[in-house]
Amino acid sequence: MSKELILEKAKTSILEADEDLALEALKEAEDTGVNLLELLSDGFSAGMKELGDLFGSGEVFLPELMFSTEVMKVATAEIEGKMDVKDVKPKGVMVIGTVEGDVHDIGKGIVASLIKTNGVTVHDLGREVPAKVFVEKVKEFNADFLGSSALLTTTMTEQKKIEELLAKEGLKGKVKTLVGGAPVTKRWADRIGADAYCEDASEAVNTLLGWIGNL
Amino acid sequence: MGKDLVIKTLRHETVEQVPWVPFAGVHAGKLKGYTAEEVLTDGDKLFESLMEVHRLYVPDGMTTMFDLQVEAEILGCDLLWAKDNPPSVKSHPLANEKIIPCRCEIPDENSGRLPMILEVMNRIHREIGEDVALYGLICGPFTLASHLRGTGIFMDMISDPDYVTNLIEFCGEVACKMAEMYIDAGMEVIAVVDPLVSQISPKHIDKLLAPSFTNVFEFIRSKGAYSNFFVCGNATKQIESMCKMSPDGVSVDENVDMVKAKKITDQYNIAIGGNIPLTTTMLYGTQQDNMKGVIDLLDSMDHKNLIISPGCDMPYDTPIENTIAAAQAVKTPEAVREMIKNYESVSFADIEIEIPEYDKMDKVLIEIFTLDPDQCAACTYMVNVVSDNYEAIKDISEYRVYKYNIKKDIARTMKMGLTNLPTMCVDGEQKWISLIPSKEELIEVITQAYKKKTNK
Repeated sequence: MSKELILEKAKTSILEADEDLALEALKEAEDTGVNLLELLSDGFSAGMKELGDLFGSGEVFLPELMFSTEVMKVATAEIEGKMDVKDVKPKGVMVIGTVEGDVHDIGKGIVASLIKTNGVTVHDLGREVPAKVFVEKVKEFNADFLGSSALLTTTMTEQKKIEELLAKEGLKGKVKTLVGGAPVTKRWADRIGADAYCEDASEAVNTLLGWIGNL
Repeated sequence: MGKDLVIKTLRHETVEQVPWVPFAGVHAGKLKGYTAEEVLTDGDKLFESLMEVHRLYVPDGMTTMFDLQVEAEILGCDLLWAKDNPPSVKSHPLANEKIIPCRCEIPDENSGRLPMILEVMNRIHREIGEDVALYGLICGPFTLASHLRGTGIFMDMISDPDYVTNLIEFCGEVACKMAEMYIDAGMEVIAVVDPLVSQISPKHIDKLLAPSFTNVFEFIRSKGAYSNFFVCGNATKQIESMCKMSPDGVSVDENVDMVKAKKITDQYNIAIGGNIPLTTTMLYGTQQDNMKGVIDLLDSMDHKNLIISPGCDMPYDTPIENTIAAAQAVKTPEAVREMIKNYESVSFADIEIEIPEYDKMDKVLIEIFTLDPDQCAACTYMVNVVSDNYEAIKDISEYRVYKYNIKKDIARTMKMGLTNLPTMCVDGEQKWISLIPSKEELIEVITQAYKKKTNK
């Protein structure tokens, strides 16, 4: 089987959330000597990217996205297990969480998973994360990106606190910030000085990849 | 009567005026200075707050208790309470156990907060049920299933659809029981609120959700009440599936293009409600933004089968004057159109306005700036609190009323730098914005102002 066909199969396995097909693509890649990193980026990750875009445009919905993300996790773990970890260089480091006072984390979880599958190391801090913990973790992990999610009009203000703390710690500009959540808008991001507002997981990935491309 | 407008609209009849249904959930508490937790747990405070919603916002229909976590709490979910938001579900009892709860757990009149809620519903029904269509809100079966199972429900939809069907069937039975109790307590409209429906495909809705939801809507109808299907988020693609379940109305938020959505609901002869933007317009916008938002909605759609409402539960801190402006725009669109025109006009700069020299006046000057004291309920109350009690303060004060539909008054309002109406100024200082003082409060402030003046 040609490399193109194997990559296509890997991509399809993600789009159709078919774990068996994903493992089949992996085996064929190994058998025919296809570079596993290439399989990861041009096959599986390309599938996730397409799926994320379909999610963003409302062609694919949450259950399908979550299920495919699980298949992606299996494929990624398999590949990492077969390779020397040093071969995989992360494209960047991100800390992400839902802000203090807010327990909504479905969207944040999706964003974290999708970004992870695009080769960025993600530290998910969970939910109800105080602003100072976000900033401490940025320092601890030397993060390039900070993502915060707020699902309530009253917890949005925590995102402002994060920006203020970053400024106080002299980290503004060193770490790029993304804000999201149902009541959050671009206007809000501009108002508090966040680097980007992302409407959904797909936009978050595209924003990050855009930044990484310019690094 | 306002209530008839809502009922006729949900019966798909033509009405002379589009009904106005503000969703003042926790925001109701703000009107009386109570926290979200207080209005959602204390019956007297909830009742008092709802009466204030009725007084200030002149609704044709209104929600009684906007908390989608009532059922979840009864069924074993832990809640995280907040001062200015409804509680959030923190734990999911079925997260690690794929079972269907026992039917013996279906709520009854004594479960959780229901004794308090039912008592308030009965009271509010006795007080204003003749004039206002009262909405009882229940948690939709899919969102309730997600409260119980957690995010695992999304994976189950693909890996174990039979389990999801059974869990939603259970949640549908909970919904019917809740609807029955609320209808018996005087609620005429049951809003089935299921924000998560916007997150799944129409295919999944038709297959997994439709049977239980359709049952709930049929049950509500069989009890002689009306149903309204509330969804949040971008539900553009799901509207048609929602219509197929035959609710009497659907309600959408600002993520949905209501004009396009109404084309679909009209095909099914179902009413649609919405969708004043919650944050950009209601919470952070001006009075004029709210007026314009409502007028734009009214002008862009056929008025049959239409209800004007906020996109969803209003944020706690929504400025009262913004909701008053929205109400005014629904009730008197023509007058408000003029107000918007006036606001946008720059010609007022030429009108000469003399601001009184308050210090030199013998008496305290009370100036009441209104949208229109005859049409806007809050404006009427503000004028009345002064005129009805003027006898007590007439020796130390005088009062003037300005209307935002008279050019000179508009110019004066602008020159005074007032952006929200109604506002009452005492010797040129803004004292009350939208909130109506009590008689005692008014007399105290005027007396103090007079003392300050005469001590000089």
